[in-house]
Order: sequence, then structure tokens, then C-alpha cells
Amino acid sequence: MSVAADPANKGAALRFRDVTLGYDRHPAVHHLDGRVERGALMALVGPNGAGKSTFFKGVVGLLRPLAGLIERGGVADADIAYLPQAADIDRSFPINVYDLVAMGLWRRAGLFGGIGRAEAHRIHEAIAAVGLTGFEARPIGTLSGGQMQRALFARLLLQDARLILLDEPFTAIDAKTSSDLFDLVHRWHREERTVIAALHDIELVRQNFPQTLLLAREPVAWGVTKDVLTAENLLAARRMCEAFDESATACAHHAVA
Amino acid sequence: MLHRRRALFVLGAMVLAVAPVAAQEKSSPAKLNVVASFSILGDLVANVGGDRIALKVLVGPNSDAHVFAPSPADAKTLAAAKLVFVNGLGFEGWMTRLVKASGSKAPLVVATKGIAPRKMEAEEHHGHDHAEETDPHAWQSVANAKVYVANIRDSFIAADPAGKEIYEKNAAAYLAKLDAMEQEVRDAVARIAPERRRIITTHDAFGYFGAAYGVEFIAPQGVSTESEASAKDVARIVRQIKKLKVPAVFLENVTDPRLVKRIADETGAKIGGTLYSDALTAPDGAAPTYLDMMRHNIRTLSAALMS
Amino acid sequence: MSSPTIPLKRGGREPCMGRPAMTPDDVFIAPFVEFDFMRRALAGTVVLAFGAAPVGVFLMLRRMSLVGDAMAHAILPGAALGFLTAGLNVFAMTAGGIAAGVVVAVLTGIVARATDLKEDASLAAFYLVSLALGVTIVSVKGTNIDLLHVLFGTVLALDNATLILIGAITSATLAVFALIYRPLVLECVDPGFLRSVSRSGGPAHIAFLLLVVLNLVAGFHALGTLLAVGLMMLPAIAARFWTRDITLMIVLAVASAIVSGVIGLLVSFHASVPSGPAIILVAGALCVASGLFGTVGGVVWRAFPGRHLEA
Repeated sequence: MSVAADPANKGAALRFRDVTLGYDRHPAVHHLDGRVERGALMALVGPNGAGKSTFFKGVVGLLRPLAGLIERGGVADADIAYLPQAADIDRSFPINVYDLVAMGLWRRAGLFGGIGRAEAHRIHEAIAAVGLTGFEARPIGTLSGGQMQRALFARLLLQDARLILLDEPFTAIDAKTSSDLFDLVHRWHREERTVIAALHDIELVRQNFPQTLLLAREPVAWGVTKDVLTAENLLAARRMCEAFDESATACAHHAVA
Repeated sequence: MLHRRRALFVLGAMVLAVAPVAAQEKSSPAKLNVVASFSILGDLVANVGGDRIALKVLVGPNSDAHVFAPSPADAKTLAAAKLVFVNGLGFEGWMTRLVKASGSKAPLVVATKGIAPRKMEAEEHHGHDHAEETDPHAWQSVANAKVYVANIRDSFIAADPAGKEIYEKNAAAYLAKLDAMEQEVRDAVARIAPERRRIITTHDAFGYFGAAYGVEFIAPQGVSTESEASAKDVARIVRQIKKLKVPAVFLENVTDPRLVKRIADETGAKIGGTLYSDALTAPDGAAPTYLDMMRHNIRTLSAALMS
Repeated sequence: MSSPTIPLKRGGREPCMGRPAMTPDDVFIAPFVEFDFMRRALAGTVVLAFGAAPVGVFLMLRRMSLVGDAMAHAILPGAALGFLTAGLNVFAMTAGGIAAGVVVAVLTGIVARATDLKEDASLAAFYLVSLALGVTIVSVKGTNIDLLHVLFGTVLALDNATLILIGAITSATLAVFALIYRPLVLECVDPGFLRSVSRSGGPAHIAFLLLVVLNLVAGFHALGTLLAVGLMMLPAIAARFWTRDITLMIVLAVASAIVSGVIGLLVSFHASVPSGPAIILVAGALCVASGLFGTVGGVVWRAFPGRHLEA
């Protein structure tokens, strides 16, 4: 990443240069242009199918942009913690909470680094921080949805990443759990980590996130939350989420650009 | 798998056995059409009959007469025959039905006529059931083969009196060869130390040979054909070899050579080669004729038993 | 079954009148004391258990339980080719089998990752082609030998070379497992997370398929049948009914495989059952028993779960 040399990028954790992300040439996110400041706490808002998950995949590098460039100023792959939607996890796998959380140490332990006393202590601390003390030996298959999400947040804690991406972290979770986990998000914000979270609950966003990107297959608005989450913008976002069109022709906007 | 292969083999052998005869049938009508049931008997018949006969063999080289399944072509062959030679002693269980089916009027010559039959134990003996059967493998003693030849000669003379002199001359010449072979076998056995004249083999066909020449043939316990061995099978044969101090084993029907080698390693017994008992080999094989077969067997035996 | 003429090896105990009563020693120990081939068979199956059972656990957890079977078929042609070129040589046949297996495994992995095709479809395509290729080669070379009998050894005839081979494969398996254990587990639990922290998922997966191939080849030699897949999968499936902890599951699977081996050999010894199938049948019986009485999702426990706990 040669971005560090560019003075314009100073302080930016992420810089999007006319990024289009998608599958099979069909874009899910069009023409994203902008930046996420280092230490920002940003919400990603948009109706279903707006391209929020695609956005995350692009940032993590799981999806190569169809066009454009995502620059991660000085943030290495290992410095990104990504919590995808929980559906990806095989809950039937015979592994307990402690081991699941311990995976957060991957960056430090790698393929076979030992888990020493110091690491074990950190793991217990992380489990305590999400309120799962006493659940260490429980197989993950026996956890409730909320407990599972707590365990995954404990893992995020251990990852100690500079850029934290949360895809729908509070969906189908009760208020108590949400608020406990939100404390962790605020703690990360205080520690000047960059946090981007996709959320459905507009009120939650208004109360907690200074920055918001409203996405509806292309950016509708991006900036300070109260300016972004206006009634007009939200309506526009709903309208713009048209169906995935198999017979779509090559994007004219792109051809011009 | 094995059954299918064997079936194919038999099928192929039948085609081979029938084809040359089919060709001969028209070219030489003057010859005496005769049929022999299996390859070894066929060789003896051919040696006596010489040029005067057109011979067909039902069960050809490398094929097992015990499990032969006759085809309609075989019935046709029989129908055209003037003489049909069989071993008898229950060897060709399928023959009676085949003769009946073919409507053949040809006299059936039992080559073992006049031979004192031996009894043999049925393969597995469970508990007290010692089922005994007649041992049909009389040809494994050369002396018996001479009886076969005499029977064959006499039936030829009866069926074709014009060729009497030729048959007698052929038979006499062949009997001389058999005498020489008898001597060869006896000399070879004599060179083996008496306490070493015993082998374990899966062949059940050497009763006459053993009785005639003083070699003890012991059936292995347990190891059976065509099925995967069990630990019990292997244990039994290992115990047996050790207990009887058998110097050599011939375990051709144990399909896995590694298993045979393991048994040999564990007991110190030598692994013998191939013995031929029920069928000749193809002309390019080790035992294309009766004399070759007997010579091959005695040499293989001596090689394994001489220390 | 031991007749009075067979000297008792242990303790000089005199047999009673007629058939001596079987002591536990006679049943469990004597066969191994008396016969070298039984000791070798025991060593072979025990060593095999240490490699094959963990592989089976991961196959099961990765929902690839049938992959072992497909791989077994993919290997056959290579082993046949090895036999046709070098004869009845353990190492040539092993090398051929491994080569065929590796080619299929790697191509499967590559295609599944580079295209939209799912892994199972990709594997099915490659193993079928491999099998067809093998059959073609064998028939073109025209051999009379019953290949199935040649390709498979028997646990009763393990010579030094084969024992060494099985030992080497098991050692290699354990070493490779140490190397890929974490990504392997992680790829099962949370593939998305693994992808976000490491690129080791793909290589670990291919290394794992290689282990499947290696252990199948070892199993062919040791058990002498296609059932070798059984010693891989059945102990793993049995273990699944007893624990929700992967480490314990692996330990139980290995133990179950060893027990199957020992009991199977003894059954083969006393009841005259072919040894390879006997071992697999015992493993299958353990599996059924576990499915019935296992504490994790077993039939009986599901039907009578007992009084519910407080929390």
C-alpha cells in the first residue's frame, strides 16, 4: 500500500476510489467514493440487499472490486477484525467457548504458537468482559444466540485489531445483550480503533454512531449521522434498492467515468 | 469376481477346444471321431489313437473339470462321436446328463476300469462327520495311467478293428515312455530323505501319487479356496506345519502370495511351486502333456523337499 | 478351540480332561503370544488407528464422510498402475495409489476454489474419471491377475516393509495434523473468520485430503479391503455420540479404532471370520451401540433424557 506516502490520506483508515463491488459483473455496490477516518465509529445503514455485506467483503479483501480501488492506509490484513453474520458458524462443531474465543489470538499464536499463562489470562479476561464467565467449557452448540454473539465479541476483543467490521452484530439479540456488547463498541472507540457496523435499528445508530454511510446499492449519503439519516434520504434509499437485474447492461455511469 | 473370470476362461477354453475339431470334421471323414472328457485323458487318448482319430476334448487345458458347465455345442460334439472316453470314479458328474441330452449312441469308455479306487476325505471335516468320497484322480499314479492306456487301446480296437496294429504299436510305444517316467519318479523320491517326504498342499488330487510313491500329502487345515482367510485359518495351518515339521507347503489356492510368504516365514517351511493335478496347461505352459505334467510335478516336489 | 496337543504357552497349566476350559488368557492373550502374524496384525491395526481415526473425525465434522469412499476409488487405478509397472511391490503400488489420490485431491480442491462448482461435485467428477482411466489402463495392459486381490494386502500377512510403511504414514499423519490442526478446526467452525485472519485454509484443506489418501493406502495394506474406509469413519462416528469436545472425540475415536482392531482380530481368530471384515464389523457394532446408548444424541438418552437440570 503506497497510500502512506500520499498526504491526502493521512488519518484515513479506509479510502474508496470509485469502488464498484459485485458478483458475476452484477454490481451490488456502485461507485463508492470517500474515506473513513482513523478512529471513526461509523454505522452502515441500508435496506436489505443494499450491499452492506458486500461492502464488508470488499474491505476485508474477500471480494475484489469490479472497478476502482480500496486503499487501507497502513492497516494490514491482520489488523482487521471482521465479524460476519453469525449464520456462517457451524454451531454443531464440537468446540467449547474457551477454544472459540482463543481463536482470536490467531495473529499472535499462528499455526502452532503455544497459549501460555499470559494468553490464557487474556482469554479469561475477554470472556469475563462479555459476561460469559463460567461458560468456558460449554460446547458452542449449547449457547443461545445472544451468548454466541457475546463469545464472538470476546474473540474480537482478543483480536486486538485496528479496524473492526461488524456485520449486523445486534440482530435477533435482546436489549440487555445489545447494550452489554455496545459497551465494548464504545470501549473500542475510546481506544481509537476504527469501527464500522452494519445496523438496522436507526434509533440505535442516531444515539451511538457519530458517522453513518447510508447505502442502497450506491451511496445515498455519507457523513455526520444526523445529516445522513434524514427522512428524504431514507426514502430515497428504499426506492433505490431495485431488484438484481439479470439482463442489466453495462453501467453507463461507469462507461462515462 | 473370480467366478466370473473362471466362467470366461471356461468359455474361452470351450471355444478353443471345439474350433479345431469343427474344422477337422469335414476335412477328414475317414478318421474315427472320439471325444475325451478332459485334457489329461485327451492326451492319453491322442497318444494311442495317433493319426487314425479325430479327437475333441470337452474340458480343455487349464480348466477345471469339477465345475465344468456343458454347452449345447458340447452336446453336438458328443452326438457326432463314435467313442466317448471318460475318467469315471465320479470325476465327470455332468457327463451322464450330457450324453443323454446329446442322444449320442457312442459307447462310453471308462478309462479307470480295473483300477482299485481310493477313498478320500471330503474337504472340511466338522466334528465327527468324516464323509468319504471316491478319489477320481487315479492318473496321478503312472501305473494307473498304464491301465488307462490299455483300456483306451482295447476300446479303439473294438471300435475300429482295421487299425488294430497301429493302436497296439502306439500303445506299446507310449507304455514304454510311461515305464521310464515311473522309474524317474521313483528315483527322484528315493533321493529325498524319508522323513522329509511330506508336504502340505491345498490340492486334494495327490492321493494316488502319495500311495504309489510314498510321499505324504497333507491337506492344510482351514485355508480354503476363494475366500478371505481368517486369523483362525492361518493359525491352524501354522500350528499344523510346526507340529508335523513339514518341510514344504504348496498353497496355490491361497490367492494372496503375501499370506503364503508370511506362513512360510513364521514356520520355516519352504514355499513350493505350482503342481498340476486336474488339467494340462496350454502348449506353451509347464505341463502341456501328461508326461510333462508328471515330470514337472516330481521335479517341483524334489526341489522343495531336498534340504 | 485349542486342542490338547497344542502346548499351553503360559504358566504350564495342564488342560483338564478333553477340551480345556478357555481362560481369559487363552481368549485374549494366547493368540498374540503364540503367533507372530497375530502380533504383527495387532501392531498394524493399532498404528493405523492412530492415523486413520483422527482423519475420520475431521472428515465427519467437515461433513465429508463419504469423501473417504470416493477417494478409495480414486486411489485404486494408481495402485493398479503401480502394480502393472513394478509388480507386487508395496512401495510401487503405494506410490501409484498416493499419486492418483493426490492428483484427484488437488484438482478437486483447485476446481472447487477457482470455480463455482461445489467440492463434492468436483470430487465426484475427478474420482469417476480416475476410476475410468484406471479400468482402461488395466484392460489395455491386459492382465490376468485378479487386481483386487493384489492391490489389497491382508492384516494377517503384514511383512516388515508393510509395517514400516504403515508406521511412516501414521507418523507423517500426526506430524501434518500438528501443523494444520488449527486452520482445520477453524475452517470447520467459522470459515469466514479463518479467511479473514489467514490464508492457510486452502493449503490446510489440501494437506488434509492428502492425509485421507495416505491413510486409505495404509488401510488397504492393513485391512486388505475397500473396507479400510470403515476403520476411518466408524470409530469417528461412534465417538461423536459420547462427547462435544473435539480433543476427547479424537481420543475416543482412536481408542474405538484400537478396540475394534483387537476385538476384530480375536473374533477372526476364534470364530474363523475373515479378519478385515471382522475388524470393521466390530467397529460397526461399537458405532451402533454408541448410537443407542451414547450420551450425546444417542437414541436412549433422547428418549429418556432424565430430569432436566437447573440451568
